[in-house]
Amino acid sequence: MEITLIDTIILASYFVLLAIVAFFAKKKIKGLTDYFLAGRRLTLPIFIATLVSTWYGGILGVGQYSYFSGLGNWLTQGIFYYIMALIFALFLAHKIRKSNLFTIPDQLEKFYDKKSRFLGSIFNFILVTPAPYILSLGVIFMFLFGLPKWIGIVLVLAILIVYTIYSGFYGVIYTDFMQFIFMMVGVALVVPFAIFKYGGFEFLTANLPETHLHITGGLTAQMILVWGFIAFWTFVDPGFYQRCYAAKDSKIPRKGILISIGFWILFDICTTFSGMYAFAANKAGHISIEILENGLPQPEVYMIFANSVLPPVIMGLFLIGIIATLMSTIDSFTLLGAMNISHDMYKHTFKPDATDKQVMKVTKIGIVITASFGATLALFFSGIISMWYTIGTVCISALIVPVLGGFFIKTKKPPISGFLSMIAGASVSTVWMLNGYSNLSWGWPVFWFEIEPMYPGILAALLVYILIIGLSKIYKPVEVT
Amino acid sequence: MDIVSMFLIVDSVVLIIATFVLTYFFFKDLLKDKK
Repeated sequence: MEITLIDTIILASYFVLLAIVAFFAKKKIKGLTDYFLAGRRLTLPIFIATLVSTWYGGILGVGQYSYFSGLGNWLTQGIFYYIMALIFALFLAHKIRKSNLFTIPDQLEKFYDKKSRFLGSIFNFILVTPAPYILSLGVIFMFLFGLPKWIGIVLVLAILIVYTIYSGFYGVIYTDFMQFIFMMVGVALVVPFAIFKYGGFEFLTANLPETHLHITGGLTAQMILVWGFIAFWTFVDPGFYQRCYAAKDSKIPRKGILISIGFWILFDICTTFSGMYAFAANKAGHISIEILENGLPQPEVYMIFANSVLPPVIMGLFLIGIIATLMSTIDSFTLLGAMNISHDMYKHTFKPDATDKQVMKVTKIGIVITASFGATLALFFSGIISMWYTIGTVCISALIVPVLGGFFIKTKKPPISGFLSMIAGASVSTVWMLNGYSNLSWGWPVFWFEIEPMYPGILAALLVYILIIGLSKIYKPVEVT
Repeated sequence: MDIVSMFLIVDSVVLIIATFVLTYFFFKDLLKDKK
């Protein structure tokens, strides 16, 4: 794709602006709570902006999926998540804020024991790997500038590592606000331009298969259901927890998530219809999209389509919007991964007497480790959606039962129940998944009994959890007098 | 213009306006914080 000089200048200015915002954010850091949670002073507008932009990172995957399944994308990547976010807002958000902790592993130690914290922090670390989003950035830079994937990744990560190390969570939230504006405005402009260039609904109905205009998008019930289960991610999403912990008071998380759902609905309508327009424009011969072996279009589909309808300058804004969507997720996830290393593993597992200064130093090293780990994964994997799916399946199977059980099951729980439930969930889903990936059909895994690995994973975690709690009620320890 | 296209344009406009409204409140809080 050819990018104009003016759009290149607009893109470069965005990176300069990021650095300036991070520079001013640094001045607010006085201690560790400032570095981790912005001093627990998030007001409603910034809570919304940082949550909306961080949670929405898979913009290229969404472009591919809306091209592939039309309105089915809105159901699988939108509606399910709104429902989960709504439940989170109504039943979890205030409890999390009131707990006054820092991370999900903190919650696990509070509910169970140190072993659960340690194991939970490993799953948490994998869950927040920014790899899929780093891979997306590599794809974008390769596409825009013809650079090898690794050069784009290294360049952008260098900027991101510097500003995250330098300004911590304050830097993340202030840059997120800026990215939120670019993301919303850039993406919102595509559909109106598409309507003026190609025509309205008639253009879509003439060029789309009927299934694309149906809410299921022609997807099978099993596929829809598994995306519904992947949306359980919300309940163990470290980004959600971190923002709730950082809110100024316990009312902000609930209000903030409810308003965020409104933003996601408006935004998802734009991305879904852009994907549908891309399909129709390809069918009508206006653009040319390559289809991959698994039936999905090439990851750059959204940009190719936008380039066909947007004039220069607006296209530059759109590109910033796409990059901002990714950057806001990568910086937040990188800091969360680093907090896992410094707060959960270093301080609470290996060196309980570590000072705040030492923890902050390890966090900075952790930022480099997390970003490098993500970049390495990104260089070896090629599919964005499959990476999401694999990470989500294993880590959600491990974490969801002990985390939700901790919040909602009031009866006394033996400390080992959290640890063993995580082991059971992760091992069953991993074995199930590996078996599926060893039998590929048309690029898609074929699982035992055609059942997705997340179901047996969560079921195993739940059974072990209930069994241990049940057994602890029957076999109470004998008190020796 | 058909109803679906109108809906899509309204959706985009509302999204942009809502973004700027949120930005206004963000700066308002920021200035209050500085005082």
